[in-house]
Amino acid sequence: MQGMQSKIVLAAALLALAGGVNAADVKRGQKLFEECAACHTHERGAQNGVGPNLFGVVGRKAGEVDEFRYSPAMKRSGIVWSEQDLDAYIADPQAKVPANRMPFSGMPDARDRADLLAYLLSALK
Amino acid sequence: MAKKLPEVDVVLVGLGWTGGILAKELSEAGLKVVALERGAPRTPQEDFSLPRIRDELRFSSRNDLTQNTQRDTLTIRNNPSQDALPMRRLGSFLPGEGVGGAGAHWNGVTWRWNDTEFKIRSRYEERYGKKFIPEDMTIQDWGITYAELEPYYEKFERTAAVSGKAGNLRGRIENGGNPFEGARNSEYPLPPLNQSLACDMFTAAAKDNGYHPFPRPVANASRAYTNPDGSKFGPCEYCGFCERFGCEANAKGSPLITVIPIAMRNPNFELRTHSWVTKVLKDPSGKKVTGVTYTNTLNGEEYEQPAGMVALTAYAINNVHLMLLSGIGKPYDPVAQTGVVGKNYCYQTGAAATLFFEGRQFNPFMGTGGLNVGMDDFHYDWNFDRAPHGFIGGYNVAGGMTHGRPISYRPLPAGTPQWGKEWKAASAKWYNSAMIISSSGSVMANRYNYFELDPNYRNVFGAPLMRMTFDYKANEHRMGEHAANVINRIAKSMNPTLMNPATARTEPWSVVPYQSTHNTGGTIMGTNPGNSVVNKYCQSWDCHNLFVLGAGVFPHNSAYNPTGPVGALAYWTADAIKNRYLKNQAPLVSA
Repeated sequence: MQGMQSKIVLAAALLALAGGVNAADVKRGQKLFEECAACHTHERGAQNGVGPNLFGVVGRKAGEVDEFRYSPAMKRSGIVWSEQDLDAYIADPQAKVPANRMPFSGMPDARDRADLLAYLLSALK
Repeated sequence: MAKKLPEVDVVLVGLGWTGGILAKELSEAGLKVVALERGAPRTPQEDFSLPRIRDELRFSSRNDLTQNTQRDTLTIRNNPSQDALPMRRLGSFLPGEGVGGAGAHWNGVTWRWNDTEFKIRSRYEERYGKKFIPEDMTIQDWGITYAELEPYYEKFERTAAVSGKAGNLRGRIENGGNPFEGARNSEYPLPPLNQSLACDMFTAAAKDNGYHPFPRPVANASRAYTNPDGSKFGPCEYCGFCERFGCEANAKGSPLITVIPIAMRNPNFELRTHSWVTKVLKDPSGKKVTGVTYTNTLNGEEYEQPAGMVALTAYAINNVHLMLLSGIGKPYDPVAQTGVVGKNYCYQTGAAATLFFEGRQFNPFMGTGGLNVGMDDFHYDWNFDRAPHGFIGGYNVAGGMTHGRPISYRPLPAGTPQWGKEWKAASAKWYNSAMIISSSGSVMANRYNYFELDPNYRNVFGAPLMRMTFDYKANEHRMGEHAANVINRIAKSMNPTLMNPATARTEPWSVVPYQSTHNTGGTIMGTNPGNSVVNKYCQSWDCHNLFVLGAGVFPHNSAYNPTGPVGALAYWTADAIKNRYLKNQAPLVSA
């Protein structure tokens, strides 16, 4: 019983988390993406900028966009980008992939990242 | 024999800020535009990405983005009695080369020069009398006004993503900005950068001393920004690799992320790199130019590019050189005081104090090109009475550091040994516990500061080098002493543990240590052909289809960095060409 109860609590917590993600503000995320847009495109087939094109990033292996010159660190990372990976990377790029060459110091606020990712995921579909 | 190419509407000589602005504006107006750039092609994606751009040895110590003196340089002397020698290494100033020009590696500081400069002679004569201006000080009114240029300053600031705080909005003095600036029609496109500890400490000290500090306006985007042309900027990351480097985060206002890529997408525009223009050609009447000759520096092939219009958009000094090599306009002669091409070369001067605070942590490595607080109390405050101090012009004081790079940022108390154990210990002790207060001062034009062709030395193409004759005069020495006193007074009021005081530069100018890349004059602007090379539209008085852009048109130098008016004048000239000159191809100002 005890075990079942804690599973229910966990499920409720996950639901709450999912609700949180759903409640993320896509419009706000679009605004936050301006910080990224100087270097990254996200439309299908758009050119790489200073950073790689982001179309289809979720589920993609790190360091594999055509014609983009990645850092050795990114190529070696072995990451297959999940939402959680992206969240951690955007929070502190050098902590998640040390010695990568994205010149961005990070987005520390969890709500900012949730909104940004909500926008990115909706825009990338 | 040069191969003759099909005629185009416009040839631009050099592709930095001024060339980029004209390239965009004139190709959009339907003109066929060719830019001839002597240096390499360059893009932020290929050239400024991490980690290669944070290579201090390559880009700062060895000046990778600047002119190669083995191909072309200047000869230098302090006065006409000396023999000039070639500058074989860059030192005092760093002319840009390659696509983007100095616009790639500048700090981004963007000021609005106003009528304090444009009406300098008449304003000083009116207030202090004609005798206050020394006889050999060849300052003159420019023929343009701040009111005419204001919309173009705004346009340039919006293009380049300038962060700052207005101090004078349509005549109303605003808190937090520079109360002495000219009236602005609108706020800066972006709010000021985040201020550092050094900025905050200087701000407090300057206020305590009764001055008016403000965050310096700078083309470092304080937050993400899309400019009116749709060019996207990232927020500045305060990486400390700004001046002498390209921006890795697309946060610095640069022609490489704004006007140049827009022109490159326009089928009317063509860029040819490694193309060294050797001469501007004139028709037999001498009243019009017909194009240029240039050499492909990769294979030595020579071309003639005929054009309906030519604009010199290279670095200021190189524009002057090309005018002299092309025999356009009468060369300046300081003895007879005739001629104008090469006249009124000006530079800048400065002083600096280093303040050491035991136990304070300044983190200078978190820096950016404009991370400074400035004050204009001895520059654009016209109420500051120059009479007791005996100088014309002024200086801006700034507190803070723009970088803490490992090779070149080494604040050490005076008397520290230059190497060895004690040097290491002092480096470690003070690197993070020092801050700087500095001044940048104007230089007034002088009869004996000028350019001409050198009689002895030639460049790699066999053309005479240009000779620079320059030294600071008594006016600048007096101003430097005033500046050093003010800096030291503010610094002492901050009670540092130790301090290297500021001293005025009074020894002869030397080309060896880096000082400033703000070289002006030589193709100066004025009210008539007798006192200037170009009219207020940067149009040659001699050949009406020749335009000369850049800081060479400034008849004297301000304490302010030059890029604000360089950019504004490029937009102003582009408008004059599009809206007036194309309809009636004639002088825009009657001589």
